[in-house]
Amino acid sequence: MLIQVENLTHIYNQGTPFERVALREVNLEIEAGERIGILGPTGSGKSTLVQHLAGLLKPTAGRVLLEGTPIHSKGATARKLRLQVGLAFQYPEDQIFEQTVFREVAFGPRNLGLDEAEVAARVNWALEMVGLDPVAVAQRMPFTLSGGEMRRVALASILAMRPRVLILDEPTAGQDPQGRRALLDKVGAWQRETNMTLIVVSHALEDLARLVERVIALREGRVVADGPTRQVLSDVKLLRAIGLDVPQPVALLQALRQAGKEVRVDRFLPAEAASEIARVWGLRGSVT
Amino acid sequence: MSALPIGMYVPGNSILHRLDPRVKMGATLVLMMIPFAVHGLWGYVALSTFVVTAVLLSGVPLGALLRTLRTVFWIAFLMFFLYLFTTPGEPLLALGSIAITRQGLLAAVAQIYRLCLLVTVASLLTFTTSPIHLTHGLEAMLSPLERARLPVRELAMVLTIALRFVPTLQEEIDKIAKAQRARGADFRTGGPLRRARNLVPIFVPIFVSAFRRADELATAMDARGFRSALHRTRMRKLRLGSLDLLATLIVMGLVLTVIWLG
Ligand SMILES: Nc1ncnc2c1ncn2[C@@H]1O[C@H](COP(=O)(O)OP(=O)(O)O)[C@@H](O)[C@H]1O
Ligand SMILES: [Mg+2]
Repeated sequence: MLIQVENLTHIYNQGTPFERVALREVNLEIEAGERIGILGPTGSGKSTLVQHLAGLLKPTAGRVLLEGTPIHSKGATARKLRLQVGLAFQYPEDQIFEQTVFREVAFGPRNLGLDEAEVAARVNWALEMVGLDPVAVAQRMPFTLSGGEMRRVALASILAMRPRVLILDEPTAGQDPQGRRALLDKVGAWQRETNMTLIVVSHALEDLARLVERVIALREGRVVADGPTRQVLSDVKLLRAIGLDVPQPVALLQALRQAGKEVRVDRFLPAEAASEIARVWGLRGSVT
Repeated sequence: MSALPIGMYVPGNSILHRLDPRVKMGATLVLMMIPFAVHGLWGYVALSTFVVTAVLLSGVPLGALLRTLRTVFWIAFLMFFLYLFTTPGEPLLALGSIAITRQGLLAAVAQIYRLCLLVTVASLLTFTTSPIHLTHGLEAMLSPLERARLPVRELAMVLTIALRFVPTLQEEIDKIAKAQRARGADFRTGGPLRRARNLVPIFVPIFVSAFRRADELATAMDARGFRSALHRTRMRKLRLGSLDLLATLIVMGLVLTVIWLG
């Protein structure tokens, strides 16, 4: 077991008029190499949960274990553990501070105490992984890049630390559909190349459908579903209950089913849904 | 981390919330100056009774207020020892070449008291006064300067906007600090110089976003037709009521009592 979350409760501003319970008694187990999506409407506690997974918050109650050790505790061991978890906050480009792209991406690896040759190798690798040309951008000022490029630099700065667990909090926020698709495809490629554990936070079902194999759904700080992507994303009742839009292909299949057609509803990619409809109608050929 | 952010307004309907902002600001100023007129124990008792009553009337949770006070703990700590060891007078206890004097002890305690009073009174004002009322109050307090052709309205607005953004800034610093810690930044170890350098990854992004925010705010104000030179009228005029009169009298009574007690 890589990560264990035990009875985790988090209360912000406890004892003030702004008190806010963000997580309530959350229990989770995550194995090495899993690809997990965390789903839930705004304010459901997704960001709070992933910050706990990275050891950045102190639990109000309960604990988070990475390989059996409480990740938030003091001391060098826990710090080493925390550095194995890479967390990209929402709008990670906000954290950029260096004068050149190279130094920005090198910040994490240098903090790991690596020698300069290794740092340079990692910076190049990470920039390539996010689809930037190291030769062209390494010496540029980050603030002269476009918004999309800055986000990729920020993601590279986390990838360069080679975390065992990579957590992305709403990585596609504020991007156009093509940008989203391209970024998510890249994330999938990183995961395949490094075999790291991947946790992606999103409230957009389409983002998760292609990328993850397991979905954890949160609502008002509670885990309300945890299962295979296919099962959670086609659970119309659950999705409506937590206030999320049902994926359009699932909604269509659901409507056909209610109209008396014998279709399966757990097909949430458009192409899959089309094939399913073709099958039931006895049409041949494939749809892509 | 769970302190009420400084400058945060806590909506409510207590007597303090309902007071006219001009009265509250005047009273705040008086309360900030009054400790300098207090010399004896009874003066402190009268002043403390007044402030504690005000806190209780405000409905602001005590825990929250105490946590706000904690933010000045280190300043208070330093001040305490500074006064304790540097005030000449009749010695109580000698530690080698330095001596703690009776006067030093009293001065140290008095300084802590003044600092706590200052923070309490100032937080009480911002806790119970909405930003819009703060602006009105500030304008009223600064209006004598209008004669000297100072742009008082704009000044009041700038101050209010600054106050409004304190909590936002605190949240942002918190978020960026966490993001950099996730990248292995360490803000706790090293000498003073090193620690100062370690803050660069926090302050550069904060400045960048503060400038962006200022820019956006300016654009938004422009888009809504804001002109600084115009004389604006108010939808709701501030009007002093009997509660305000009473409060003013009570504060004046307090001042006289404290001066009389010496
Ligand atoms: N730094 C903070 N201080 C106070 N309350 C917070 C803070 N961060 C989040 N919250 C509150 O905690 C709840 C969960 O927030 P969050 O974890 O950010 O949810 P999500 O990422 O799913 O939108 C929300 O009600 C939010 O307002
Ligand atoms: Mg979030």
